[in-house]
Amino acid sequence: MKKEIGIVAFKCKKCGKLHYPFHDRCLVCKQREFEKVKPQGMAKMLTFTRIYNLPWGFDSRYLIIGVVEFENGVRAMGQVHVDESVELKTGMLMLPSWGTVRVQYGENVYGLVLEPAG
Amino acid sequence: MRDVAIIGAGMIPFGRRDEDTLMDMLAYASLKALDDAGLGDQSVDAVYVGNMGAGMFQHQSAIASSLVDRLSLLPAAADTVENGPASGGSAVKNGLLAIASGYYDTVLVVGGEKMREVTGWRATDVVATMTHPQAEYPYGITLPGMAGMFTRLYMEKYGVTREMLVAVALKNQEMGTHNPFAHVEMALSKDGIMDNSAAVVNNPVIADPLHLYDACPVSDGAAAIVITALDRVKKSAKPPVLIAGFGQATDTHTLQERDDPTDLKAVTLAAQKALEMAKLKPGDIHLAELHDAFTILEIAESEHVGFFKKGEGGKAALAGKTRLGGQIPINLSGGLKARGHPVGATGVAQVVDIVFQLRHELPKERQVKNAQTGLTVNFGGFGNNVTAFVLRRVEQ
Repeated sequence: MKKEIGIVAFKCKKCGKLHYPFHDRCLVCKQREFEKVKPQGMAKMLTFTRIYNLPWGFDSRYLIIGVVEFENGVRAMGQVHVDESVELKTGMLMLPSWGTVRVQYGENVYGLVLEPAG
Repeated sequence: MRDVAIIGAGMIPFGRRDEDTLMDMLAYASLKALDDAGLGDQSVDAVYVGNMGAGMFQHQSAIASSLVDRLSLLPAAADTVENGPASGGSAVKNGLLAIASGYYDTVLVVGGEKMREVTGWRATDVVATMTHPQAEYPYGITLPGMAGMFTRLYMEKYGVTREMLVAVALKNQEMGTHNPFAHVEMALSKDGIMDNSAAVVNNPVIADPLHLYDACPVSDGAAAIVITALDRVKKSAKPPVLIAGFGQATDTHTLQERDDPTDLKAVTLAAQKALEMAKLKPGDIHLAELHDAFTILEIAESEHVGFFKKGEGGKAALAGKTRLGGQIPINLSGGLKARGHPVGATGVAQVVDIVFQLRHELPKERQVKNAQTGLTVNFGGFGNNVTAFVLRRVEQ
């Protein structure tokens, strides 16, 4: 079964600034009340990198990490799951999903997974 | 507020120091600075130790308490200061404020890190713990990865090229060959790391678009200074160096929450504050030690502190304007790129290098003639906590 994307962003009830991750006070107006917002729609690739020197806890040859912006303005980091040969570009549309991004102490850790749309 | 002067500076060679413990390195650098200050058997009022990761690298805590005991500086006050890769800069700040306020008269500031004790795999993870624990770290992002994403944006927005990044690497590694404290004392050639077909092997991609020689090494090392109130400084052969300006600023933890992720606001603000306090402008600075953990950062910081307009830093590096004899010499120590980057030591080491320059005691291959002013930028996290100092030679 397809998992729901587990990211929750926070929209300031006073000025409308979108935050992800959570802040106790709005980064713009310092107000403390927020409306919870789920990321919606496709995601546009803002930037990305292929990492070949991986940190402890990863056993693959490389990782692709990207930062995307969803259609409703929520920005988040995610893992890009594509073959190394696929050419990625900033601005391209990505299909977001919620999947395994690492395995820690034998348990799957879930996070934002991105694949090129179309 | 009292004027604060650096009267002693010392550093040990950076690199892989298997024979030394973290405490050995902190002690060696401290003794060099104490001797340089001519303190002999005298004590100090307080010790601030900049260190990021002893708890993770060595499974050791409370290292400042351990250091004062080791150095027989008891009962001096002792604190460890942790601020990621800007721990050294923050330790210097703590010393500065303690003297400026009049609370203490003489303070030892030391920064150190022993990173090569663990595998590169583990060291990369330790450094990555400063990323956001929910929004970034679980994905496997590393600091080279953050720099890679930043570089891609900077290249697209400002037209920075691989050739410009390579120009920084060539300059800094060349300077490292003249610095006996440098981790990497090996000059590079453009042919070897960019133009030649073998460059794919010599200089592989680590976090695209960054390559191996765009990144600083993982190092062991320590550096120290002794500071006091300027009006207490006795005349000596070595001129005191005034901490003329200090600034610190923070930015969002995650890169994605910055309106323009290429804008290093904390660097701009920290440098502006330091320059304002010193009553100087960027054009008054004779040399700088900037936090080039990655070649792109030297270029970006040279713009954000005001040496060059946005988009001109890479061209300036390529044109040799940041070399010795150029418009504004940057990282004549070799920078993090060649001197190395034992994270907690770097902010103090930058200050030590500028002190050597302002005392005019370096060989001609590295010495800026008649240098009077210098700027340091110590970049914590990925630009989310930055310290800057302006130092000025004081004629006695």
